[in-house]
Amino acid sequence: MGLLNPGALVFLALVPALVLAYLARERSSRVTVSSVLAFRALRALGQKRFAGRPRFDWRFFLELLVLTLAVLAMAGPYVVRRENPIAVVLDNSAQMKAQTASGGSRFDKAKKELDAMLAAMPGESAVSVYLTSPEPHRVNAAPLSIAAARSAVRDAQATDAPADNGALVNLLTELSSDSHYAKVIFAGARALAPPVPPGITAITVGDPIENFAIGSFVLRRESFGSQALRASVTVANFSTAPKTLKVAITADGKSLASAESNVRPGETAVLDFPSLAPAAVYQAVLAPSDGFSLDNVAYATSASVKSVSILFVSPTPDDAKGLGSIPGVSVTTVAPDAFSPGELASADLAIFEYSVPKEMPSVNALLVMPPPGDPVFHFDTVQVRAAQVTAWRATDPLAYSVNFRLLNPGAGEAFGVHPWMAPVVDGRQGALVLRGERDGHRFVASGFNLFPYLGRQNLPMSILTLNILGYLAGVGANSGGYRTGQPWLVPAGIESVILPSGQTVAAKPGTLFDDTASLGVYKLVGRHGAVTLRAVNFSDLADSDLLNATPLRIESHAPAPKTRAVTAKAPLTLYLFAAILVLLALEGLVVYRRRSAAGV
Amino acid sequence: MAGLPDELTPWFLARLEDLRIRTRQQFPGMGKGSHLSPKRGSSLEFSDYRHYSLGDDFRYIDWGLYGRTDKLYIKLFKEEEDLLTYVFLDASASMAYPEGDRKFESAVLIALALGYVALASGDRVMLRVLGGSGTQPAPVFLYGRNRAIELAERLRAIRPGGQLDLASALARELVAIRRAGKCFVISDFLMMPNVVTRGLGLFTAATMDVTAVQVLGGRELSGQGLSGDVEVVDAETGEQVRVSMGAREREQYRQTLLRLSREIKAFCMKRGMHYALYTTDRSFQDFFLRAAADLGLAH
Repeated sequence: MGLLNPGALVFLALVPALVLAYLARERSSRVTVSSVLAFRALRALGQKRFAGRPRFDWRFFLELLVLTLAVLAMAGPYVVRRENPIAVVLDNSAQMKAQTASGGSRFDKAKKELDAMLAAMPGESAVSVYLTSPEPHRVNAAPLSIAAARSAVRDAQATDAPADNGALVNLLTELSSDSHYAKVIFAGARALAPPVPPGITAITVGDPIENFAIGSFVLRRESFGSQALRASVTVANFSTAPKTLKVAITADGKSLASAESNVRPGETAVLDFPSLAPAAVYQAVLAPSDGFSLDNVAYATSASVKSVSILFVSPTPDDAKGLGSIPGVSVTTVAPDAFSPGELASADLAIFEYSVPKEMPSVNALLVMPPPGDPVFHFDTVQVRAAQVTAWRATDPLAYSVNFRLLNPGAGEAFGVHPWMAPVVDGRQGALVLRGERDGHRFVASGFNLFPYLGRQNLPMSILTLNILGYLAGVGANSGGYRTGQPWLVPAGIESVILPSGQTVAAKPGTLFDDTASLGVYKLVGRHGAVTLRAVNFSDLADSDLLNATPLRIESHAPAPKTRAVTAKAPLTLYLFAAILVLLALEGLVVYRRRSAAGV
Repeated sequence: MAGLPDELTPWFLARLEDLRIRTRQQFPGMGKGSHLSPKRGSSLEFSDYRHYSLGDDFRYIDWGLYGRTDKLYIKLFKEEEDLLTYVFLDASASMAYPEGDRKFESAVLIALALGYVALASGDRVMLRVLGGSGTQPAPVFLYGRNRAIELAERLRAIRPGGQLDLASALARELVAIRRAGKCFVISDFLMMPNVVTRGLGLFTAATMDVTAVQVLGGRELSGQGLSGDVEVVDAETGEQVRVSMGAREREQYRQTLLRLSREIKAFCMKRGMHYALYTTDRSFQDFFLRAAADLGLAH
């Protein structure tokens, strides 16, 4: 037993103050009465009191006790309790949703076996419960009792996020080497590779099962300005025999297309779905179904069903005439002085010609010959009279089908090294075209003016321009990037996110959104209620291989650690305050009853 | 009625008019009234016979007796006269304590109610104040219901104060009173019992009919407000007594007061006096109407 704050004992000096208060209260008062006749008999009683000292009745001693308890409570008394905590690590990753041969999911089976193991433990054991998904974390801040731990295990839910095996191994390694824990219990689908460190007890549920999976579901435009989409679905066969895998595409409840492919064991195939009709959400469903349904369905969203709206900010608005002639494209022009960020809300992308916005745009943007030294993009430019293309990245989507040897940019500017934009086209004095992503948006900077040539007979320039616009406008149709359990950056202008379960979560632009443990379509709600759909699918094919799951290898750096009892300080302050309250209530009750009886 | 205290409501006054003062002996009055007088008169109540003499009214000759005895006798009847009522009010300093118990105000109300009963019955009322710092009312009888307001004004002018020796004060009053009658003594009687018995005993010696009304405060009787070490000071003598008051002491104090009251009551019963105890925590109207018999009143 000890005191957390022994200095509070100085308040015991209040005890003499209490005595003085009683002395003052006990000082005789002077009262005029009609006659002292009846008091004369009482005088003898008063003289019996020893030396005339004040009478400390039961209330004095009770209040002395209350004061002492209060001071003791302030001092923070505690008792040292010895305990041997147990760590329970329950794998709640998506793989645990796979069905077992005996029926039911792996997760249910793991919870059942874990509950039985906990029930057999001594009642005074303290248990720390950990879950592994979306990232390993401890469920409870303080150790739980056996009953509370069983309740926590029963209440645990499996997620759609895959297990982070590296983090899981680190957690198990850390727990097994922590001498505070008498035992570590791991319940999961992965077996532990020998040698298993002593102190770790593994509950392995679920045998390897054959599984067919969708690896990726990617949408892209057939071409810039076209409303039709093309889908690519990667399927995999994690079984021991060749299998014909069929994928059906539906959108908004309508069946759009289907395709199939015979896939050999352990191999993948890509199914192509051209010319899909515009829709908000596309769903790909794999057949045949298997014991792990999470990777048999995938979602993709498309923003291409509507025409591309371009906000053209330029002191020479006539340059936008060529853009307006592209099918499915609408252009709004505005002078740089009249531009306000709020106008971006209705635009799919923005083009800033000879100008730069004063803050990072909340949409994809093309910056044409931006002025040097701006505070947002920090372009370092050099004026060039006759720019010449010297190099380009042939694999870049912006350079696709562009004959740069015939491209003559003319006068313009060359960019120096940019902190987050990479060069795509280089000239003698520096980069002529830069590309990069920031805050979830794509940005392209061009050192020469593209638009006077658009629609004329300058084919390389036109193709480059369309590539750039397609790159900027096509981000909404790319559904391949978001995976369960992986956080993503909240785009500008987004205020909340509606999860697939219907729950609404507040979001702050520029921050990481990590509530991504569920598979499905997330709704990103912006200002004025504008909604952007975002598909989040199961991880990748590595997580879908339930046939060849490799065991987890826990490294044991030290020899078998000696388990020693852990001492914990159990504070007694609450008990003392409870005792004080009880004593005060008792005093109040007795005083009230006595006063009532006396008629005061 | 205007001029009377609020406690004397019209309803209560109507109840008082149903009451009359009851005496255990007959007293000569000063005029016609409703109480039998030892004097002979013309009431319907037979008193005695005497021989007929010249000049007697023929109507009072008992002819039946003349037939049996062959002698003429005249029937004599008792006289009905008013009752001389004396109200002695203790206005010593002790009646003002404990403050807040309104002992003296209650005593004044009792005196006024008794006086009203007498006046409403056609009796005569004289108010005498024992002690007090106000003006002593003149020793005159009030007569007639309309004098109740004057009685109330006289009572209102009295302020409690000073020390009172009850026996000596009553002795002086008895010397001044020439005619016997009904006496009401209203006091807290918080004095030595022998003083009380000596004072009240003077009335029996003077063949007066007495009702002792003891007024005690509700807080005074229970010892409220007295807790811990207390130095109590006698309001009249200034005597100081240091006591330590707890629940046990309060109970003992209360029992002492009740014992004193019982001694006074026993003395009154023994001497044929009426006795009533009023504690100020009770309703005044309820006390007066319920304790009418103890007060020497009758319907």
